[in-house]
Amino acid sequence: MTEKQKKSEKAFAPEVDERELHKLERTWEEPRGIMGFLMTTNHKTIAKRYIVTAFIFFLLGGMEAALMRLQLSRPGNNLLNPDLYNEIFSTHGTTMMFLFAVPIMEGIGLYFVPLMVGTRNVAFPRMNAFGYFIYLIGGLFLYTGFFLNVGPDAGWFAYVPLSGPEYSPGKRVDIWGQMITFTEIAALVGAVEIITTVFKQRVPGMSLNRIPLFVWTQVVTSFMIIFAMPAVMLASQMLPADRLISTHFFNPAEGGDALLWQHLFWFFGHPEVYIIFIPALGFISSIIATFTRRAVFGYTAMVLSLIATGFIGFGLWVHHMFATPLPQLGQSFFTGASMMISIPSGVQVFCWIATLWSGKIHMKTPLIFVLGFFAIFTIGGLSGVMLASVPLDLQVHDTYFVVAHFHYVLIGGAVFPLFGAIYYWFPKWTGKMLGERAGRWHFWLFFIGFNLTFFPMHWLGLKGMPRRVYTYLPEMGWSYGNLAASIGAGVMALAVLVFLVNVLKSLRVGEVAGDNPWGAETLEWSVSSPPPVYNFFYLPTVNGRNPLWSQMEETPVVVGLSTECREVLVTNILDAEPEHRYELPGPSIWPFLLALAVGETFTVGIFTPWGFPVGAALSTLALFGWFWSKPKSEGVRALEKPKTRSLDEARLSEEGA
Amino acid sequence: MTGRPALEVSALPQHGFDTRAPLWWGNLFLLMIETTMFGILVATYFYLRQNFLLWPPPHTHISPFLLDPVPNLLIPTINLFVILLSCVPMFLVDKAARRGDKLVAQIGLLICIIFAVAAIILRWKEFWGIGFTWDENAYGSVMWFVLGMHMLHLMTGLGECVFLALWVFLRKFDEKHRLDITVLAVYWYWIAGVWIPLYAIIYFTPRWQ
Amino acid sequence: MRMMKGKLLTQRGALALAAAWGLMLSGCGGVNSSLNSVGPQAARIEKLWWLMFYVCSAVFVLVMIALFVSVIRARQDTATRVEIPATDEPELKPEPERERRMTRVVVGATAVTVLIIFVFLVASFFTGRAISSPLYAPQNVLTIEVTGHQWWWEVRYDDATPSRMFTTANEIHVPVGQPVLLQMTSRDVIHSFWAPNIHGKKDLIPGKSSTLYIEVDHPGMYRGQCAEFCGHQHANMGFYIIAESPEDFNRWRDSQAQPAVSPVTDSQKRGQQVFLTSTCVMCHTIRGTLAAATEAPDLTHFASRQTFAAGTLPNTRGHLAGWVVDSQSIKPGNHMPPNSLESDDLMALLDYLENLK
Repeated sequence: MTEKQKKSEKAFAPEVDERELHKLERTWEEPRGIMGFLMTTNHKTIAKRYIVTAFIFFLLGGMEAALMRLQLSRPGNNLLNPDLYNEIFSTHGTTMMFLFAVPIMEGIGLYFVPLMVGTRNVAFPRMNAFGYFIYLIGGLFLYTGFFLNVGPDAGWFAYVPLSGPEYSPGKRVDIWGQMITFTEIAALVGAVEIITTVFKQRVPGMSLNRIPLFVWTQVVTSFMIIFAMPAVMLASQMLPADRLISTHFFNPAEGGDALLWQHLFWFFGHPEVYIIFIPALGFISSIIATFTRRAVFGYTAMVLSLIATGFIGFGLWVHHMFATPLPQLGQSFFTGASMMISIPSGVQVFCWIATLWSGKIHMKTPLIFVLGFFAIFTIGGLSGVMLASVPLDLQVHDTYFVVAHFHYVLIGGAVFPLFGAIYYWFPKWTGKMLGERAGRWHFWLFFIGFNLTFFPMHWLGLKGMPRRVYTYLPEMGWSYGNLAASIGAGVMALAVLVFLVNVLKSLRVGEVAGDNPWGAETLEWSVSSPPPVYNFFYLPTVNGRNPLWSQMEETPVVVGLSTECREVLVTNILDAEPEHRYELPGPSIWPFLLALAVGETFTVGIFTPWGFPVGAALSTLALFGWFWSKPKSEGVRALEKPKTRSLDEARLSEEGA
Repeated sequence: MTGRPALEVSALPQHGFDTRAPLWWGNLFLLMIETTMFGILVATYFYLRQNFLLWPPPHTHISPFLLDPVPNLLIPTINLFVILLSCVPMFLVDKAARRGDKLVAQIGLLICIIFAVAAIILRWKEFWGIGFTWDENAYGSVMWFVLGMHMLHLMTGLGECVFLALWVFLRKFDEKHRLDITVLAVYWYWIAGVWIPLYAIIYFTPRWQ
Repeated sequence: MRMMKGKLLTQRGALALAAAWGLMLSGCGGVNSSLNSVGPQAARIEKLWWLMFYVCSAVFVLVMIALFVSVIRARQDTATRVEIPATDEPELKPEPERERRMTRVVVGATAVTVLIIFVFLVASFFTGRAISSPLYAPQNVLTIEVTGHQWWWEVRYDDATPSRMFTTANEIHVPVGQPVLLQMTSRDVIHSFWAPNIHGKKDLIPGKSSTLYIEVDHPGMYRGQCAEFCGHQHANMGFYIIAESPEDFNRWRDSQAQPAVSPVTDSQKRGQQVFLTSTCVMCHTIRGTLAAATEAPDLTHFASRQTFAAGTLPNTRGHLAGWVVDSQSIKPGNHMPPNSLESDDLMALLDYLENLK
């Protein structure tokens, strides 16, 4: 380690009182054993669970994709029958959207938002634990169904009437619908956690215009979740109601409407794409700033673009419905909005290129993934502009062109940055660096495999191949394109294998990372890797947008929070000025029990209506237990005078804030 | 390094009301979710209405045949007033919680519970004044859904009242639960407030054909 | 050194991408393709596609150039480069003059984006207007009703004279050069009607009616397929649009309006008996006989069709025999039950069906 490196890594840590440190450790300690596993409320532990669970679902979804590509590798293939194929593609889409993409993005947010805004835990730690368990139950429920041959088979957007009681008898669609309910509850819980944490628990000095771009993306995403999920929340109750208790929301024979489902679903479904994509923009901004050694160009423009994307994202849903009989004038509005959303995306891409242009580039794996993002996402974005045009959409809608488009946008826009983010933050999570060499292999295999898989699909779509077909006739002329796509899928699988090996190997014998191996700017890099359970011994204060780059010896730290109870500092929204200290609850079993009760409600509920009253009663009990349980350290209010062996008790000077 | 300045926060209070409290914000976001949900539900109501020449549709399953089976108004209107009136004790409880007036809060919570129970019983009667069951047609389905969703909130509100009353009676009137009471009050005002437009939409718009 | 390699690889990646894009350009065309239009609607959309394709390709190339130049530029000072980013001091106060220049460029690029979008919007709007109504001779429109079923297409030709109305399936004959109005709905789930050479797709929604104007300018047989996922046999829910001269079309229409020909040979007569006494009559219609169910394709002029099973199989005796006996092995999940017939009965049935010209 060079002298210079040591200096940048260590920053200006104030001295630490060993006794206080032990007290703080004991206060925030997580219980051990199986009960400890079920009771923990630490945001990092829960976020890691989200990330690992979501990644396992990613692997499952990827295996489903591989099976589909095997089936389609040649015309008239008999590997999968149509029933199984339909189950597999529906489960693939559902898994990737609901069980992988949204949770992993929120998981990374739940890990880093508290660290980046400088607090010790999220605002509602027990709700956070509940959110994870409910998500896990949803995922397990779907896959239990899938392995028992009752997996969903009506596609990930389950259009009625195909998914209705008449054309999808049995439990397949019910399982799908309740899985949606579980994951949307988890997403909503996560969103409320993140916004409240950012609004109320930022460190002193982190006014709104100093919030890291990563945190902004999480806030915008969370607001989108809040406004988008209720639509699917309703839809995913109406559909099972139609199926189980014979309501008629979607039944045209009794005044219901098949298109109502599409409106409700896409009012959620389109923002959903941005819910997945916007957090990735945060990863990109973090990575670009670090590896160009400068702040991202155009902070204000970036933030406004994010917010604009969040708003416009709600005005696009009808572009999924251009082929339905809707008035043409209305459609033109949605064409306009759909094209307009490329403006904020364009602004962000331009700002990043400007950052690269003026920075000093370090070509490390995270940055390489981000550069891959530019190549792929630009294609996806441009084909998206094409899809926004009603006439062109009429040709390519529901074809492999669309399949190509959304994989370019979602894999290019979210998975490439996600892999970049994993290479970037792996040292923070584990204290070990991921292998650079393997990282490059991973990138190039994934990049080439991806383009080989999805680029020919544009062409297949234009040549008339509809999506969701389990086979095709040899005379259609789609064989070579499909073969190429299937080979590409194999290459992608190999890339993911390289990644897994890299992770496992690095965990065992990886290079030790240190606190801030990349010399990055945000607060999560100021603590050890992995971070201590309480995150910060002294909460820092910040004096700019790039706190670790601009902090000086005179930058104050916060003292006076209790080390004997789980206390955090609450600050105000605009300027992050300290308002009060607030005790957070500790470990609790009730979130798990409540998740079980809610799980019972919706899983048993699809077999017998009794599931609902029983579940409601159990949930009420669990909630009473939850809120009745005494905070562990109630009464420990006598605050320790801060031990200021090496710290002045000086109040924060005005210019420091 | 000994000169590192510090921001001393030990003198700060341990609780704050309203926008100071994270809980208040969490509740606000919950209400945003719920408001969006009801907004979309209203949109669904009018969307389904487009499919009907007459709304509500003529009731042909019963005898005598009803051409214009608009929902009964009496009980829903009484219930609207019950729900709105319940905000008065809730307001007093809210104020008492801020002052730290335990007795008023206790009595107020009991009155709120009585109001909430009354509203739920009346709501149960409202279901039968619709004239359709949920499985007769889309009109019946959406009416049951709107009433049911709102009733769920009434029940949640009741549950919170009962819980806080138990706590205040059996445990103590501590700062944390005083904050909880003020947040419950916000939730309750919202339940009452959101019902005004919903009431007008489901009970009055069918009368304006 | 490692960085140099990374750069080279990046450039190679760009080349590969450019090559792939070129491949896509040259690969378009062929029989079943939205870029091989045979009617005015598809032709308008094709024009719009090429406009967007060239503009978007140019944008892509420009963005990639900007990206590569910025990456290469920032590497010019290789001599002073450090391997570990942490030891490279970050630039805290960016040079104001450079930032101003970059602001101007970003604003300019955004303005160009807005301009391009405006052009696309206008082009898209006018194309949309043109393809949603008959382009020429709006009075002389032929109306055909199309109803989607799991997993076949019911096609009904209207006529002022009721006896000239008839129903057929999966093969839609249209006269060349005449605008055709398709009035479509679905009997069960949502389907989508799509013949890429002729027009974009339109959803068929139960309880709703959709319309689509098409016109075919060149005689030929054009394949189409259901484009909205509709269950097990979505993949094999094809159809053909057969465009022929007005004379041929009228001749075809006259013959289709007739009831089915009566069986002549003994074998055909026996085949008719087999048909009428087995489960066939539960679903199919043969006009002129007692079979009048509408669950499945109308077979009155079955032998006049070139394909069956929704455009999946050529209409030959062998395929037909296989289909009648065990359609489930050909299109798993379809609604036709297997029929265990004595081989004599089967032969007779085939004779009968093959005679239904």
